[in-house]
Amino acid sequence: MPITRKSSLDGIESAPRWIVVFLGAYLIVHLFALYFWNMAGHAFSIEGTSGSTSALPVTAMAAVNLWLCLLVLRSFPAGAPLRRAWMLITCAAVAQAAAGALAQLLGSDWQLNPLLWGGQARAALVEQIRHGALIAGGPVQLALLAAGMLAALRVLRKFGFWVRPSAADWAVASIVYVFTLCRFGEAGAASLAGRPIGIEDWSSLAGLPFLCVLVLEALLLRQSVVHMGNGLISKCWAAFMCGIFLTGAGEMALWVIPHFSHAWPIEMIGSLITFPAAAAFALAPACLVAAQRRAIKPASDRPEGLATSVPALAP
Amino acid sequence: MHPRRATLVAFCDTETGASRSRRIARHLAKCAKCREELGRIERERDQLSARTAEPAADVRQGLAAVLSAIAAWQEGRNGAAASELKARLRWQMETYFGSPAASALEGTGIRAEEMFGKASEMLEVFLGPQAAEAVSDDIFRGVDWAEPAGEICR
Repeated sequence: MPITRKSSLDGIESAPRWIVVFLGAYLIVHLFALYFWNMAGHAFSIEGTSGSTSALPVTAMAAVNLWLCLLVLRSFPAGAPLRRAWMLITCAAVAQAAAGALAQLLGSDWQLNPLLWGGQARAALVEQIRHGALIAGGPVQLALLAAGMLAALRVLRKFGFWVRPSAADWAVASIVYVFTLCRFGEAGAASLAGRPIGIEDWSSLAGLPFLCVLVLEALLLRQSVVHMGNGLISKCWAAFMCGIFLTGAGEMALWVIPHFSHAWPIEMIGSLITFPAAAAFALAPACLVAAQRRAIKPASDRPEGLATSVPALAP
Repeated sequence: MHPRRATLVAFCDTETGASRSRRIARHLAKCAKCREELGRIERERDQLSARTAEPAADVRQGLAAVLSAIAAWQEGRNGAAASELKARLRWQMETYFGSPAASALEGTGIRAEEMFGKASEMLEVFLGPQAAEAVSDDIFRGVDWAEPAGEICR
């Protein structure tokens, strides 16, 4: 098959850099807001704005993630070993983006939502859409991602990048398992006490078993990445690993913080975790797309030539 | 008139016609000089026949020596190309996977063709076939092989 090389590049290989820049800017703005709020002695509320302002960037990042996943999926033909893994990862990205879009466009209470124009009957539909978005962005996304990571780990194992989890890995995983048990115990106690459990809690609880599997997969991914090195492909799987750990850390933080203090702006803290997690998930396909574009890019367009990079090959 | 040497050689090999052979035989009966020349031709022919029949083994050894010299020369050229290919493969593996993966792939005493096979399989699986093919193309660009690289390594 002849090799076709693109003469002009669309600049998509700089996508990882852009994602990191946006993430940095987002974190700086939010941390400054948190700092000023704390300095002002909690004189104003940052909860009211943070919920809506954080959801939009997360949805936008999910859309970017979906687009990049589709680009990666297209580069793996049918029958390729990683095709199934990327298919499941793309499905997870679809679930995340759809959940964000539904929750933000049709599941919100803003005046431009066309479903709210019809009165009470439509309001029930809005609620249902909101619940659907919670399930799609929660357990469905995590289940698809866990299946995708499992498929990827099988391929990594085939190429020798497989290491059994160490004692430290089991220790980290056990923290998440204990947290999961605590959540289920708390939900059971609330149910026995006759307290209602909201759909948000149900969807979160349904996603926890998948999160446990994902954390174990992320620990195995970490070992695989350590055995691989710091290359462009390794960064892709390292980004997945970071995304999973941040998702787990976010779940735990959002449950632990209200148990200690109700003064903390939980929405703001949640956004400080969910956006980095979404950015990490988008970073993974971005790294792979960058690696692919780098490979296809003509050697003359690269920042440094092969001969100058490898002393042995220098003329 | 004396027959020419070529005619005597043909006579010796019984390649002359019947009437011409009779004429030559009549001349030889009278001419001592031509008989002496014919004797010399016959001795030379016998020596040549003895050499070609006897040392078949020597010829085979000589041919083997020539072939081994050609192989050594080609190996010298291919050896340089193979080490260059290995260096390029290592660099690409470090770029896309990392140093540990490149070191693991390189192993000890792995041939360049084998290393290339493993590396291209890994790149195809993790990077996709089109990008992997482009990387392979980059690896081979400008490598001076004694014979086409594709025939050796693919």
